[in-house]
Amino acid sequence: MRRGSLEWKLPLFFSALLLAVVLVMLAAAYQQVRHAALSLATERVRRIAKVYVDLLQREPTLRRAQTATLAADPGVREFVTSGGGRGRDWVLAAMRRIAPDSAPNLAIEVWDSSGQRLFLRGDTALRSDPAPALPTDSAVVSPYRLQHDTLLYVAVQAAVRQGTEGRVIGRVVQIRRITLSKQGRETLTGIAGGDMTLLVGNADGDPWTDLEHVIPAPPAEARARHDSTVAVSYARGELKIGAAARIPGTPAMFLAELSRPQVLAPTRLYLRRMSLIAAAIVVVGALGAWWVSRRITTPLHRLTTAAAAIASGDLAQRVDVPGTDELGRLGRSFNVMADEVKRSREGLEAQVLERTRALGDSEARLRAVTETAHDAIIAADGDGNIAYWNPGAAHMFGYTASEVVGRPLTLLMPERYQDDHRRGIQRYAETAEAHVIGRTVELHGRRKDGNEFPIELSLAAARTEAGISFTGVIRDITERKRIEQALRETNAEIESFSYSVSHDLRAPLRAIHGFARILLEDHGPQLDPEAKRILTVIDENTRRMGQLIDDLLAFSRLGRKALETARVDMADLFRTIADEVRRTAGDRPLEITIGVLPPARGDRDMLRQAVTNLLDNAAKFTRQRAPARIEVGHRTDNGEGVYYVKDNGAGFDQRYADKLFGVFQRLHRAEEFEGTGVGLAIVQRIVLRHGGRVWAEGEVDGGATFYLTLPGASPT
Amino acid sequence: MTQPQEVEILLVEDNPNDAELTLRALKQRNLANQVFVCQDGAEALDFFFGDGSHALREIGVVPKVILLDLKLPKVDGLEVLRRLKEEDRTKRIPVVVLTSSREEPDIARAYRLGANSYIVKPVDFEAFARAVSEVGLYWLLLNHPPR
Repeated sequence: MRRGSLEWKLPLFFSALLLAVVLVMLAAAYQQVRHAALSLATERVRRIAKVYVDLLQREPTLRRAQTATLAADPGVREFVTSGGGRGRDWVLAAMRRIAPDSAPNLAIEVWDSSGQRLFLRGDTALRSDPAPALPTDSAVVSPYRLQHDTLLYVAVQAAVRQGTEGRVIGRVVQIRRITLSKQGRETLTGIAGGDMTLLVGNADGDPWTDLEHVIPAPPAEARARHDSTVAVSYARGELKIGAAARIPGTPAMFLAELSRPQVLAPTRLYLRRMSLIAAAIVVVGALGAWWVSRRITTPLHRLTTAAAAIASGDLAQRVDVPGTDELGRLGRSFNVMADEVKRSREGLEAQVLERTRALGDSEARLRAVTETAHDAIIAADGDGNIAYWNPGAAHMFGYTASEVVGRPLTLLMPERYQDDHRRGIQRYAETAEAHVIGRTVELHGRRKDGNEFPIELSLAAARTEAGISFTGVIRDITERKRIEQALRETNAEIESFSYSVSHDLRAPLRAIHGFARILLEDHGPQLDPEAKRILTVIDENTRRMGQLIDDLLAFSRLGRKALETARVDMADLFRTIADEVRRTAGDRPLEITIGVLPPARGDRDMLRQAVTNLLDNAAKFTRQRAPARIEVGHRTDNGEGVYYVKDNGAGFDQRYADKLFGVFQRLHRAEEFEGTGVGLAIVQRIVLRHGGRVWAEGEVDGGATFYLTLPGASPT
Repeated sequence: MTQPQEVEILLVEDNPNDAELTLRALKQRNLANQVFVCQDGAEALDFFFGDGSHALREIGVVPKVILLDLKLPKVDGLEVLRRLKEEDRTKRIPVVVLTSSREEPDIARAYRLGANSYIVKPVDFEAFARAVSEVGLYWLLLNHPPR
C-alpha cells in the first residue's frame, strides 16, 4: 500500500486532530489543577501562620508579666538595694513561684545597676554573659540568641526601680532555652499537617529554628511580609510557599512553609495519569479512524486494483464489495460496467477478427488476381520507382521483378514519353493535378529488347501518410490495334462495296428496264402478245431487283450508322407515320388507334424507320380486311415497358415466328403480299442497336402483334 | 448534235445507256434539243475551261442547268462540281446531281460543294424519266439565273 493512499492519510489526519484536542484539554486541566493546588497551599500556610502566632504570643506575654511582677516585688527591690546582702530567701521564694529550682530550661538572674550579678538560679548554662543591657521598659523580650552554636534561648528582663517610678537600680532576667519535646513538636506539626514546616526565629535574621534544629534564617523575601495574609514563594533549599507572621510583643517571627514541589506533586501525578488517559484516547481514536478508513479504502483499493487489471487487459476481473451503502452500490456498478466492457470488447474483437479475415481473404483474392492477371500490374512510389511487378508485367515487358523493382518507370517507356512522365510525376507531387490519373490512355511501352508496342494504361494514385503511390494496369493492345485496323479496312471495303453495288448493279438494271420499256413503247405494235408478256415479266423483275438492292443497302447502312440518341416522343412519331400510312392506303377502310405511349430515348431517324416498317407491314397484311384495324399501345411487363402494334390482318403461323425477322425471310408468297423480306429485319436491327428486344405473336388469319422494348424508354 | 450556242442543259454522264434514257426522258418533255452531253469529268471541265474540243469560252454561252453524274471516269463528279463552283463565271449555273447512290456522304458532300438538288437514279425507267424531266423543267423554266 502506498504512503500517499487514503488508508494512511485519513487516520493520520484524524489522530493528529484528536491529539491536538487532547493536548489542549490536558494543558487546560493541568493549569486548573495546578492553580487549585497552589491556592490550597497558600491558604493553608496563611491559616496556620495566623493560628500559630496566636498560640505563640501567649508564652512571651506570660513571661513578661512574671518577670515584671518579680522585678516589682519589694523583696527583690530590697535584695538589689542591699547589694544582695538581704532578702535572698525572699527572692528565692518569689522565684519559686515562677519556676521550680530544678526547671531544666530556665534560669533567673538578678543584676544590679553596676552590672554585678547578684543572683543566679536554675540552669546556669543559660546565664547571660556578659551582662545584658539595662532595660528601660518594665519588661522586654529580647531576640533569640545562639549560644555555643546550638543553644537557643530568649531572655525576658524587667527593670527593678527605686520606688514606683524611681530610678532603675537593677534588673531581673528570666532566660529560657527554646526546646520542644518530640511529642510537643509532633503535636504542633500534626495540627498543621505533616507536610508543613514550622519555623520560628528573629524577624531580623539569625538564629532560626525548625523546632528541632537551629537553622539559618529564611531568605529576606520570606520574612519581608509578616502579616500572615500573603503567601510568598522563595527558595530555601528548594522552592517553598510560605506565610510569615510577627509574634506580637517580641522581635520574633513565625513562618509556616510548604515545599512547592511537594505541593505540586499531586498535580504532576494528575498530569501523568491524565496523559496516560489522553494517550489511550488518542490511540483508540487513531485505531478507530484507521478501522473506518480501512472499511472505506479496502473496497476502494479493490476497485482500484480491479480497474487497473481491466485497464491492463484482464477483463475477467470483478470486485467483491458487499453491503448496500454507496461503496456496495459502487462495487456492483463497477461489475456491471466491467461486464459491459468485456462484452463490447469481445464483440469488438470478433468484429476485428472477422474484418481481418475478410481483409486477408480479400487480399488473397486480390493477390491471386494480380498474380494471374494477363495484364501488367505495376505499382510505383512517389518518385516513380517501381515497387511492385506482377508476372503479367514480367511476361509483357521481359523483365523479371528483381530486375526492375526499385528502378524508375522510365525504363518501360520510349524516350519521347520520358520527359512528360517526369514532369507529370513532379506536378502531381506538388499540385495533385493529374492528367493521366483516373483515366485510361493509349501509349507505347518499351520491352527489354527495346521494341515498342502499343499499350492501354489505366493509372490510379493514392496519397497516404507514407506518401504517394501509383498503381498502373497495362494491357498489351497490339492485337486489338491490329484488329481495329483490320476492322477499319473492312468497313472501308464494305462502304466501297455498297457504293459499287448501288451504282454499278443498278445501272445495268436500269438499262434493261429502260430499254425493255422503250421496246414496248416504240415497237409494241409489231410485237405479238407473248413477246409483250415477256417484256412485262422483264419489267417486273428488274423493278423488284432494284427494290432488293435498295433494301439491302438500307439494311447494311444501319449497321454502320452511329446512334444519335435524344428524347423521342413515340406517340407523336406513331401518329405522323400513321397519317402517311392512311394516305397511302387511299380509300380502303383502315382504322389506326394509338394509345398512351411514353417517350423513348433513341435515334429519331432510326426509330422513324422502325415505326414506318411496322405500320407499313401491318397495313400491308390487313389489306384484305374490311375494316382493317391497327392498334398501337404500350404496357408494362415485369417492370419493363413494351410498345406493341397489333393488327387484324393475315397473321402467321406461330411456328415460324423466329423467321419473321430474318433478312429476305418471307412467310407469304409474293403473289399474296409483295415485299423483299427486309422490313422486319431492319426493325429488329434498329431495336437491337437500341439495346431492346423485338418479338411477334400471331396465328394464321388471326392477326399479328409485334412487341418491342426500348430500354431508354421512361417507365409508365 | 446540238450546237453549243443552243445548249440549255449540259448532261455529264459516262454511261451511254443512262445518257440515252435521260435524253429520252427529256425528249418526252421536248427539252432534248438543247441538251449537250459530256461523257466524263474531264470533258465537262474542258467544256467550260479547256481549249480542247469545246469552244464555249469564246462564245460565252453557258447552259441553264447542269445534270451531273457523280461517278465519272478520269475526273469524278464531285471534283467537277468543286471546279464549277469555284469559278465566278460558272458558279451561278444550277447543278443537279444525278446519282445511283443514296449514300449520305456523297449527297452531303455534293451539297457542301454547292449542288442545287439531286436525283437518285431509280431502276424504274418511268420514275427516272419523271424525276429527270421534272427537275430539268424546274431549273429551265422556273429558275432564271442572272446572265
